[in-house]
Amino acid sequence: MTTTTDILTLAAAGGIEPGAGLTMLVPVLTLLGTLLCGLCAAFKVKSKLPAWLSVACLAGSFVAIAATYADLGHQQRLAHGFEWINFSYTGTDGQPVTFKANFAFYIDSLTLLWMLFVTGLATLIALYASEYMSHDQGTGYCRFFAAFNLFVFSMACLVMGDNLLLLYLGWEGVGLCSYLLIGYFYTRPSAVAAAKKAFIMNRIGDLGLALGIMLTFVHFGSVEYAVIFEKARPYIDALKAGHLDEIPLVASFIPILLMIGAFGKSAQLPLYVWLPDAMEGPTPVSALIHAATMVTAGVYLIARTYPLFLLSDVALPIVGWVGASTALLAATIGMAQFDIKRIMAYSTVSQLGYMFAGLAVLSPVGGASHVFTHAFFKAMLFLSCGAVMHGFAGQLDLRKLSGLFRMPGWKVVSVAMLVGCLNLAGFPLITAGYWSKDIILAEAFVNMPGVGWVLLITAGLTAYYTFRVFFRVFMGPTHYEPGDEVHGHDAHGHGDAHGHDHGHAHHDDPHGHGPAVTATAHDPHAGHDFHPHAPGWAINTVLAVLALASFAIVPLMLTGEHHGWAGGMVEHSSAAYHTVGTSGYLEAAHGHGPHDHGHTHGHDHDHDHGQAHGTFLGMDPHKVMYYVSGVVGLLGIAAAFWLHLAGRTSAASSRADALVPAMGPLAGWARGKWFVDEFYDALIVKPLWVISHIFHVIDTLIVDGLVNLVGWVPRALGGVLRPSQSGQLHGYAAGMAGGLALLLIIVLWVTLR
Amino acid sequence: MEGSFGILSAMIFTPLVFAGLVALRPTREAKYVALAGTLLAAALGLVAATQFNWTNGDTHQLASSAPWIPALGVSLSFAADSVSFSLILLTLLLGPICVACSFTAISGRERTYYAWLLVLQAAMTGVFAARDLVVFYICFEFTLIPMFILISLYGSTNRKKAAIKFFLYTFTGSIIALAGLVYVAWTHASASGAWTFDVDTLERAARATLSRSEQAWVLLALMLGFAVKVPLFPFHTWLPLAHTEAPTAGSVVLAGVLLKLGTYGIYRFVLPMCPLAVVDYAPLIATVSIIGILYGGLICWVQRDVKKLVAYSSVAHLGFCILGMFALNSAGLRGSILYMINHGLSTGALFLLIGMMYERYHTRDMRELGGLAAKMPVWATFMVFFTMASVGLPGLNGFVSEFMCLMGVFQASPNWASGACTITGDATPGATFGGVLGPIYAAVAGVGMIVAAMYLLYMVGRVVWGPLVEPHHHHHDADTPSLPPDLTPREIAILIPLAASCLWLGVYPKPALDALRAPVEQTLRIIHKANGTLPAPVLDVPAEFRDAPPAGREEGTR
Amino acid sequence: MAPMMWSPVLAQAADPGVMHEVTLAHYLFVAVAMFVLGVVGFLTRRNLIIMFLCTELMFQAAGIALIAFGRFYLEYTGQSFVIFVVTVAAAEAAMALALVVLLFRKRESLSAEAWQELKG
Repeated sequence: MTTTTDILTLAAAGGIEPGAGLTMLVPVLTLLGTLLCGLCAAFKVKSKLPAWLSVACLAGSFVAIAATYADLGHQQRLAHGFEWINFSYTGTDGQPVTFKANFAFYIDSLTLLWMLFVTGLATLIALYASEYMSHDQGTGYCRFFAAFNLFVFSMACLVMGDNLLLLYLGWEGVGLCSYLLIGYFYTRPSAVAAAKKAFIMNRIGDLGLALGIMLTFVHFGSVEYAVIFEKARPYIDALKAGHLDEIPLVASFIPILLMIGAFGKSAQLPLYVWLPDAMEGPTPVSALIHAATMVTAGVYLIARTYPLFLLSDVALPIVGWVGASTALLAATIGMAQFDIKRIMAYSTVSQLGYMFAGLAVLSPVGGASHVFTHAFFKAMLFLSCGAVMHGFAGQLDLRKLSGLFRMPGWKVVSVAMLVGCLNLAGFPLITAGYWSKDIILAEAFVNMPGVGWVLLITAGLTAYYTFRVFFRVFMGPTHYEPGDEVHGHDAHGHGDAHGHDHGHAHHDDPHGHGPAVTATAHDPHAGHDFHPHAPGWAINTVLAVLALASFAIVPLMLTGEHHGWAGGMVEHSSAAYHTVGTSGYLEAAHGHGPHDHGHTHGHDHDHDHGQAHGTFLGMDPHKVMYYVSGVVGLLGIAAAFWLHLAGRTSAASSRADALVPAMGPLAGWARGKWFVDEFYDALIVKPLWVISHIFHVIDTLIVDGLVNLVGWVPRALGGVLRPSQSGQLHGYAAGMAGGLALLLIIVLWVTLR
Repeated sequence: MEGSFGILSAMIFTPLVFAGLVALRPTREAKYVALAGTLLAAALGLVAATQFNWTNGDTHQLASSAPWIPALGVSLSFAADSVSFSLILLTLLLGPICVACSFTAISGRERTYYAWLLVLQAAMTGVFAARDLVVFYICFEFTLIPMFILISLYGSTNRKKAAIKFFLYTFTGSIIALAGLVYVAWTHASASGAWTFDVDTLERAARATLSRSEQAWVLLALMLGFAVKVPLFPFHTWLPLAHTEAPTAGSVVLAGVLLKLGTYGIYRFVLPMCPLAVVDYAPLIATVSIIGILYGGLICWVQRDVKKLVAYSSVAHLGFCILGMFALNSAGLRGSILYMINHGLSTGALFLLIGMMYERYHTRDMRELGGLAAKMPVWATFMVFFTMASVGLPGLNGFVSEFMCLMGVFQASPNWASGACTITGDATPGATFGGVLGPIYAAVAGVGMIVAAMYLLYMVGRVVWGPLVEPHHHHHDADTPSLPPDLTPREIAILIPLAASCLWLGVYPKPALDALRAPVEQTLRIIHKANGTLPAPVLDVPAEFRDAPPAGREEGTR
Repeated sequence: MAPMMWSPVLAQAADPGVMHEVTLAHYLFVAVAMFVLGVVGFLTRRNLIIMFLCTELMFQAAGIALIAFGRFYLEYTGQSFVIFVVTVAAAEAAMALALVVLLFRKRESLSAEAWQELKG
């Protein structure tokens, strides 16, 4: 394994290293894609040209990354682009200090792991979107693909940047693209509001990240990973020697600040509320940005700066508990929703919680593996939901769709959905999701058993709500009602600005806009004349490829020495920094150190040093968790089967409805998303709004009033003297004569005295 | 040296000459003559930029000097260091843009308009180039007259009140500043027996002779004067009024350059003249700036008038600028100076865009406008672009300066240098000397970043996105026969240079950052030398941080 | 009479030896009388032309005083000064009368009270 010292020498040498130069193609190609799509918009191209350009650029990026991986394997390289924010000044000791944040890439296996699935999925989803967005051909189409390419560019900066500031550029860049794409249907106020909410919520996190970057620079004198990791080495050594108390307090603030950024971007408590709303965007966007890639940026940040997170004895426990609580909370909300896309959104939040918990329990391998598998199956789930939405005129209510599996033309979608659901539910042995989830669960029970239990319960709930969707929508008696897109199209066609009160309405389907539909376009009960529109070749191809890929990565999960291929990628990066050198030294450090919080015991499977660690009901978690998590997943699926499929005769109701009264208010609260949005609104937004108005009043009345008062004083004084100006010539003359006389008298009096 | 007439003077006097030409030529030619004048000045600026020695940015170059009132030691002397010259370039860039954006907006009394616009540009350039206090002050005050005329003759409904308030408020401020400057000159005259208003001499004299409390008084006077101009909370109330009433070009100049006269004044005079008091008062001024950032930002959020919203955003933005300046370290000061330029570009562009919208709809009320992206996609693209520049999106200009200001403030804690915060006990490598602020200031000011996103996205969400809303009285053909729904090539050509500058300063700010290093470190050296906080090694680094040449203008005679 | 002796001019006037000569005091007396007449006239009359004539009266009173001093002290500065005064007064008269005519046309009145534009 290349040590960070090698990286330092590379950094000193500068320039593009052999093997890493190809990665520069990614920003170049994606920017080119953005530019070309922009030109298409300028020239009002009406064809699918922007889509094909994007697919070509993104595929090129994927090939570049794949070639880099083939070349580098687990090695590390730097690729230098140009100098960005790079300035020198005189430091405390009179020596020049340089703040160096260049446009340069740090390529290691963690980077490559992320970039492989980012560019790969982006290519596939662009292909999918070429069909999905086809109703918007014209400027909207160009705008979509321009933002899409820009997103991949930003993601490349985020993941490949060799310093925290370039990561920040990508971080805010993906935020911008997310803003533009959530608000893609900009005539809908709800989409605009959701886009704004996403950006602002992310900004809150970004502030934490920005302060974290500043603190990193102040403390380590650099924002470049290679330098930071090298400077953090004494701290890790102190940790190794069991002197956690030697690590300065300041250093332990860094992970806490960075963590805030990660929580914002990856939709964790308390900043998760933007993600479900982000489903206002077109489904390909939800699949790529809000499920597979952008939201995992927080996981990437923590994995990338993992050495820093080890410096604090509270940072990782906070991450763990935040992740676990988010996972559970989102799962409970997901159970009670009816909008299948929102359910998937909450499941994303929940799974992200898993990944954070995985990171926190000293298993970045588990966290990153789960990111990897999740990217595939969650993208697939979203794309399947999108296909359903596309075909049924925006219908997403699982009470209004049923038995799609048996409808002609829906086989590929149904199978893809099934594969995705099996993965998400953690169906034993054959799914990648099972294996990656298992790593997290096992490590959780070893290091933070409390978190482990929460995650295990969540796993059961996840299996339940996942298959609730599948059994309701794809199995059972065939029945469907179209969504309100039937109206939406009509309105759209006339450029009308009436917002749809239904939050997830999309202008999706020009083909479903057939004669039968048009004839009844203004009839709210147009369902019976509605002909669903089965997906075309592009959508089906993409879904099939994803379904195959999600199986293809199963062997990848099982090969290699460290939890499969993805795990190996993580093990060879800075995320596994804590295992460098003596195996399990952290165990010793935390086991005997003064700050033993009982959470950082051991790592990985080589824990046979006889140290006390968490168990699962007295058994070794690593040995039993395979069975336990498999059983829990199957139990969840069984519950969903019993409640939502067995004996179900209509789309609208199922056996589960009978259980709702028994749950008391809980069901209502879960359906109301625990009223977190309302809570924030009442606690933060409204007061701030009131304060702003108060400030505005203060500004006009007091601040400006004082100024006006100052202006008023001379005027008032003038008013007092005003009557003396009579305007009569004789008055002035008499005044003059009198004044002269007075002067004379004074002179006489003074001289004759 | 004596009586030399350099390219810098040419930049100042070209607009004046063309102002005369505008007045002499027929009305229909006025705008073209004005455009030619500003373009010529801009071309001179470009030529000068190639002659300028950017690496020695702390020396005052391109100098010219002519005696004016020898009895008082007043001379017409101009020169620029890299700070001044960057701001001059900004002024010269905005010149043609302001003229070109008025082509359709101004009808009637065009000669007066363009002539005063040119005079205004000359005065602003003069402020940045002046190396004599009297010349500086005359130019500083002379900006008021053209601006007063532009607002009061060509403004909106409430223009008279706005113009008077603008004039009286900022004039009162500058009178107080004048008192401070005259006090410094008088102290020097009574000590040395001869009057002089040479900036270098007075700066040196001020920090050499003024006691700590005297410096505090001078600082107070200067800060009061310049804070009104900036405007710093709570002296900002003239700004929203002036902005809303001014014609588009007026707003662009106001936001783009006039406000920078205040920040430039603080940088040029307050920091070197009162180095002791600056350190004493930095926490206070920083606190006031932070209040301005948050207060101004939150007020933006409840505005109904788009232009007023952007006007209040200037209050918030310039709070960052002043905050960075009083971090009193390299990152903060350089960020602050870059902020002046970046704010001029992005906020100037926002005012231009609002003006273009106003020309079409004759309203700026967000309740009457919405979803213009559907009607004006090109306009909307630019709007989103410049909003993002203003929000501080990395990759665009605003981010670089905002981040550097905040980082300067973050670093400016005496604790970092003490070595208490590292494992080895060394001073932290990223720390810079001096400074009395710290992470708490940066964190609270950083909330301003969130607030900025709130109000700017609120604006974009209302005006650009959403269902299309147009004013009821709006009849496109009747109101604006000459303007198409979306932007004309002329309008796009106006915006492109600004957009390109924003992108360039965001993607590759290194030349600008390097150019600002020498003058900033020179200023910092002055401050730390006065306070005795300069670490020993730095005192012995003459090559890179040498003192400015005594007269301060040898360089330019090359 | 000590208080009255403060001025050599008045002392001379009181000297019985030169009683029949026209002394400076006589001239000054005329000047003062004219000036007072002018002031009183200006203050009491309302007719613009009369008021203007009164100002001329005051002007010429000052002129007489200047000439008298010049003659008495054999100093020609005062006298030459008066030439200017007379010239200016002539020009002024032309201007003022023209103005008065204009004012009359506006208000059909010569009363100074018809004009109170400066009222605050």
